[in-house]
Amino acid sequence: MTPDVALVGGPVAVSSWWPGVAVALPLVGVAAVSAGCLTDRWRVVALVVPAVAALAVALVLVGDVLAGRLPELFVLRMTPTLWMVLRVDAPGALYGATVAALGLLALVYSFGYVHRGPRWSRYFGFLMASLACTLGVAYAGNLLTFLIFYEAFSVLTYALVVHEQTPAAIRAGAKYIAYILVGGSLVLAGILLTYFLAGDLTFVAGGFLAADASHGQLLTAFWCFVAGFGVKAALVPLHGWVPDAHPAAPAPFSAVLSGVMVAAGAFGIMRVAFDVFGVTLVGALGVAPWLTAIAAVTVLVGALLALGQEDLKRRLAYSTISQMGYLTLAVSLLGAGVTAGALVHLVHHAFLKGTLFFCAGLWIHAGGVRRVGELRGMGARMPLTAAAFTLAALGMIGVPPLSGFVSKWWLGVGMLEVDAGIALAVLLAGALLAAGYLLPVVYAMYFAPSGTVAVRAGREAPATLLAPTLAAAALTIVFGLGSHYAGFPLQLAQVATAAWFGGG
Amino acid sequence: MTGPWAEALPWVIALPLVGAALTPAVAVRRPRAAGFWAWGVLLVTAVLAAGLVSELLARGPFSYELGGWPAAYGIELRFDHFSAWVLPLALLFVVIVPFSWRYLDHVMPDERRPPFYALLLLNAGGMIGFCVTGDLFNLFVFTEVVSLSSYALVAVGGRGLAAFAALKYLFIGAVSSLLMLFATAQLFVLTGSLNMAEVSLRLAEVGGGTAVMVAFAAYAVSFMVKAAMFPVHVWLPDAHAIAPSPVSAVLSGMVVKVGIVGMLRVYQIYYGAEVLELGAFNLALVWLGAVSIVMGAFFAIFQDDIKLMLAYSTISNIGYIVLGLGLASPYAVIGASVHVFNHALIKATLFLAAGSIIHQTGFRTLSDLRGVARAMPQTSAAMAIGAVSIVGLPPTAGFVCKWYIALGAFEANQAPFGFALVFGALFIFIYYIRMLNAFYFQKPVHAAVAQASETPWSMRGPVVLLASLCLILGVLGGIPLTFVEPAVLDLLPLWGP
Repeated sequence: MTPDVALVGGPVAVSSWWPGVAVALPLVGVAAVSAGCLTDRWRVVALVVPAVAALAVALVLVGDVLAGRLPELFVLRMTPTLWMVLRVDAPGALYGATVAALGLLALVYSFGYVHRGPRWSRYFGFLMASLACTLGVAYAGNLLTFLIFYEAFSVLTYALVVHEQTPAAIRAGAKYIAYILVGGSLVLAGILLTYFLAGDLTFVAGGFLAADASHGQLLTAFWCFVAGFGVKAALVPLHGWVPDAHPAAPAPFSAVLSGVMVAAGAFGIMRVAFDVFGVTLVGALGVAPWLTAIAAVTVLVGALLALGQEDLKRRLAYSTISQMGYLTLAVSLLGAGVTAGALVHLVHHAFLKGTLFFCAGLWIHAGGVRRVGELRGMGARMPLTAAAFTLAALGMIGVPPLSGFVSKWWLGVGMLEVDAGIALAVLLAGALLAAGYLLPVVYAMYFAPSGTVAVRAGREAPATLLAPTLAAAALTIVFGLGSHYAGFPLQLAQVATAAWFGGG
Repeated sequence: MTGPWAEALPWVIALPLVGAALTPAVAVRRPRAAGFWAWGVLLVTAVLAAGLVSELLARGPFSYELGGWPAAYGIELRFDHFSAWVLPLALLFVVIVPFSWRYLDHVMPDERRPPFYALLLLNAGGMIGFCVTGDLFNLFVFTEVVSLSSYALVAVGGRGLAAFAALKYLFIGAVSSLLMLFATAQLFVLTGSLNMAEVSLRLAEVGGGTAVMVAFAAYAVSFMVKAAMFPVHVWLPDAHAIAPSPVSAVLSGMVVKVGIVGMLRVYQIYYGAEVLELGAFNLALVWLGAVSIVMGAFFAIFQDDIKLMLAYSTISNIGYIVLGLGLASPYAVIGASVHVFNHALIKATLFLAAGSIIHQTGFRTLSDLRGVARAMPQTSAAMAIGAVSIVGLPPTAGFVCKWYIALGAFEANQAPFGFALVFGALFIFIYYIRMLNAFYFQKPVHAAVAQASETPWSMRGPVVLLASLCLILGVLGGIPLTFVEPAVLDLLPLWGP
């Protein structure tokens, strides 16, 4: 596969306020819900408008990047040698737009899902704040900035995991925060070592760590990073928090958590591999085969564990573990094509998994239906929801022409490019297992006799809940059919890999 | 050579001390006026301190000869980069005193206010004097001023337990002071001088030897007690938990730092003289620091009383600082010195927020305070920011020191301590998570907690201000570095710039 875009002399850094604006906009929403003086109606407006604006800015930034520019903003000088800096390159723009879009859908969905009451403003405040910080992760221009936003959104989302305040939620929250903080500390250790070795932390496509540094220290730093980000990316065996946190959290937040926040870990691994170490150095260190093995285990174990889950959200959480494993798998193969496929998969998975969690939330909202067995006959009672779920499930399995097919196609082609037959086998096995854990749900909804199950949910949800669900499902088709258009994920991914791999 | 502000050097010490003496007279009719008087005095002191710092930035370190007597005979006051600590110190007092105005209503009858504020001013004056004196005997005198006023401030709450805690503090503190006096006498006998710069020069002539080492050891132990390092920390938790919250903030944030600044002064003398091989001692400090971090966190986990938790967390944080000093590489010492200030700020935030909560609800244990965040959102948010800062999550004030000390560990070829530091912080997070969980995510068990109201603005303002500073100094971590970096590079000449 050759990139369609030819960049002469690489992208040009230009000073721009837009990255800062994108990160700051959701914080306007935080201020709005914290202020006591607004009526409820105005609060909703004050939340939606900044979220829409953030999405618009994120799309403008995508345009900037495709035009060959590299918008950057030096925010603060934190120490004499370290800046907090935002710089939008192709992978950052791609991830940032995904965050903003899924965040907006989840926000709208939340208006219908989260009960009015004293916890209402807490939920929305923390949701917007963590979206702002996740955008910061996307646009971070150096490791320190990355870490700041990464830690911030990890800690902020704790409040969303425990939002329901049930004993189960509190337990899941404790597990979540313990895993995440250990991971964050590992990342910090890696960053400290990197700074000690290189004296700098700025992302450079192709890496900035010198190959002549001590082999042992480079290895230590690399594994600190992988283990640290691996906690968030849910690499087996660091995935323990994922299956508990997702069922405990409110559904719209589960969607965001699975769609973009777990992906932040994989995004971090990409940053480290391609912008800190660089392809050559990672290859020279000899760590790639180990990473491939870990990722392959993650894909297969996640999918196998998903098969046995009766709780729908838990099953989806295990599916996330498996699907996010593809990203690390792709990174470890160090090929341009497969990495482009991984970036595309990051985006497509976000909306697929978003749809699935939105649907799961609709059933919980309609009557507390959480178990797969209770979904019998749901196809007739909530047809739109069932259709959205089915569409996303097929996309997740990789049925053409849906978005999941496109990303898996590019992943597979990329794997063949680097002669990674085993990885391809893992990819196909993962898809097969995805059919194994998602199709029974579809079967239960449409074909299983509903005789013995008490009807607990009978009507479609109101529009605030249904509209974002259907929109996310529609994106599955749009991304599937339009994947080759300019401005779609594939093009950005190719720009990114062109920089990382030196023109492919 | 020196600008006009250099003349302010003696006044910055004299003002709070004289102010303290005048407090009872000023407040003879209206005891409550003592609080405003103390605040005014400290405000002027802070302005003077700011002037001194501006002089330092413009022309570098400078001296003042008291009474015009030259340094070798008279008393020299010296304002170097480590002395710049007096500015944040005075500013913290300026923020803490307004908090105490309303807080003391529940703690003591009005007629006891004048002595309280007199003691607080004495304490401030003593610490400022400690930082700017260039004379070893003065150093001892100012230590005693700080210590004696601290004992009394602990007891001022008035209940039986307070007296007991103050007594314990006094006994251990007296031993430490005695050691310091002994060391001072020893150095005077060896060198015939009490001026720090002179002593350092003459020590180089005297050379090494047991006596020099004993003096160093006596100083070190004495200052470690004042700083509440792990094995000699036993006086701290009770004293800091029982004192009224503004006093806790002063004691935990600033008074323990007397030990650290003292240690830096002793280093200045001994590193300059190059008479002792301090490698083994520094290694001991590193280990003691690491043990302090862990033990402080370990004890804190089992506390239910929020102020006791905060008191134990001070032991952990002193561990950070001592670890940094012991690593003796530029980054590490810079980190440690910056944390002297940043920890003061964070701990003041936490103690004042905790004090607000105790003041409004009447409860002080985690199990009683469940769900307090809904009733007191701003104070709880300040508490949360303080907690996140003290754990050192970026971009808060606590992160700066963690970053520098861990880098320093790599620099000193002691990478394991760098990792230990990063992961030790997690241990500390355990009990702050417990606290935030109780405040935010559990149902209230007492009606008084559920219906508590926010504090009046004279209390809430300082808390909110301090909490925002915790964030601001995290993102603008370079500011304290301006002062600390030259001082540290001066202190560690062997490492080179």
